[in-house]
Amino acid sequence: MKIKFTSELKWHIILILFIIVSLFPIVFAISSSFKTLNEAYSNVFGIIPNSPTINNYTEVFTRLPFFKITINTFSIAACVTLFKTITALFAAYSFVYFDFKYKNIIYFFLISTIFIPFTVTMIPNYLTISKLNLNDNLLGVILPQLSDATGIFLIRQAIRGVPPSLIEVAKLEKIGHLRIIKDILVPLVKPAIISTGIMFFINSWNEYVWPVLILKSKENFTLPLALQLFISSEGGTDFTIAMAVSVVTMIIPLVLYIIFQKYIINTFASSGIKG
Amino acid sequence: MQNKEKRINNILGEKFTAYLFILPSLLALAVFMFWPLIRTIYLSFFSWNMIKPTKTFVGIDNYVNLFKDPLTYKVMGNTALYIIILLILNCVAPYIMSFILSMVIKKGKGFYKSVIFLPSVISLVVGSILYLWILNPISGPAAIIAKFFGLTLPIWSKTDGLVILVISLITTWKIFGYNFIVVLSGVSGISSEIIEAAKLDKVPLHRIFMDIVLPMSSATGIYVFIMTIVQGLQYVFTPIKVITQGGPDNASSNAIYNAYQEAFVLYRTGNASAFAIVTMILFVILLVLEFKYVERGVYYEN
Repeated sequence: MKIKFTSELKWHIILILFIIVSLFPIVFAISSSFKTLNEAYSNVFGIIPNSPTINNYTEVFTRLPFFKITINTFSIAACVTLFKTITALFAAYSFVYFDFKYKNIIYFFLISTIFIPFTVTMIPNYLTISKLNLNDNLLGVILPQLSDATGIFLIRQAIRGVPPSLIEVAKLEKIGHLRIIKDILVPLVKPAIISTGIMFFINSWNEYVWPVLILKSKENFTLPLALQLFISSEGGTDFTIAMAVSVVTMIIPLVLYIIFQKYIINTFASSGIKG
Repeated sequence: MQNKEKRINNILGEKFTAYLFILPSLLALAVFMFWPLIRTIYLSFFSWNMIKPTKTFVGIDNYVNLFKDPLTYKVMGNTALYIIILLILNCVAPYIMSFILSMVIKKGKGFYKSVIFLPSVISLVVGSILYLWILNPISGPAAIIAKFFGLTLPIWSKTDGLVILVISLITTWKIFGYNFIVVLSGVSGISSEIIEAAKLDKVPLHRIFMDIVLPMSSATGIYVFIMTIVQGLQYVFTPIKVITQGGPDNASSNAIYNAYQEAFVLYRTGNASAFAIVTMILFVILLVLEFKYVERGVYYEN
């Protein structure tokens, strides 16, 4: 009995060490963002700053249109989330409850987009956005991201767990599809829809590759692009300000995750099991 | 007769609705995924710089040049190294951790699960900038700890090989949690009776892992294996772009970054397209091989 206890304890210690290492960067960023530049260099490991300051945060606002940048990030993420979730919900509904020609082929094609690397689509999409005159425009970031195969896959998985008899009864009662979706299906698969939506929101909030190609002027930047302005491998004088921008960039995803973690973990867990 | 007509109308109506519901997704993905794919294939047969009004048809020259260029082999070598490191850290390691979490320890599972996933929601630009300073060889926390033990950190961003390892580690910070959650769900799906029986028979842990857990969760394992390569290589793009821009001397560039550099730094649209297509073909081959040889022996959970 005692041997078993110590062997389990050994694993707990390893896991705790792992967690400390993986959470250290987050704690380091938060604590550094409230330090003066001097203290950031002299008191690297102090979690609570000796002389806390919010200067790094106010400095960001004087150097950049930071409020606008935060609103930009939010607007893009909100639009992308809305479109991706709604298009995925309708497509998933159709794939589960309807029988139609080429259904499997269409599904296969949609899902196969997961395997198209972004280098294959970036040049033509860049040309399309330029042609539409949407360069350096938030719409140019949003437009190529109106639908997402992962969303269709995840919501379809959830809908398949709903007893088909419920939907059949509704159909016999001659309830329209829109009402079936709104009043019967959505309440039943709410956790999957919420976590798929949150995943879209967080991914879009963090997105870097596509916005960096499209957005050029600082007023149109998103948070990850703004953060990039403070990078220099030597550390330098902007170090604590970069930490403040990092904290603002990561706070929203972290809060969303902490609130909805149960939903998110369950939905991600189901993504690995193929349907 | 009337009834039959009504039924036909109804079925037609239903078919119409079915396609109507798929249409938004299909349209969006067709315009911004499949059409670009076709255009990129087309562009790979031309010499162009994205600005000139005319494109020059060069046949398969872009592909020939690609296979002649020593840079291609360097970049593909780097890509292979990235894949190996990413697979060890984000496929093998999550497997071992899932095994420990679901079979060995009994308390705190929920806590570990939520905390280990946490870094996955943070931007990779944030991750890159944080690690850039944490691993700063002169004044960062890692350097201070190393100094305490009388060691100095190498200038990793300028060292061949090491730069790939560090960039992979930064990317791992982002994707480990996600892969771990997926693998854990596969591993937890295995009936605990089998495991308990093996434990009673005093089968050592590593044998339980190799002989029971691994084969019985192989569908999940293969999914994570493929996704680690396909998504991992694309995730790696961000730290490369933010920290090294592919340097020193392309030592940290990979297949994804190189195509980006050809397109948007050097404006060689044809080369970039050819490189992107070759990358995609490698992804597809990988996928087909997986399905053909590994999938056959797969034990499907549930």
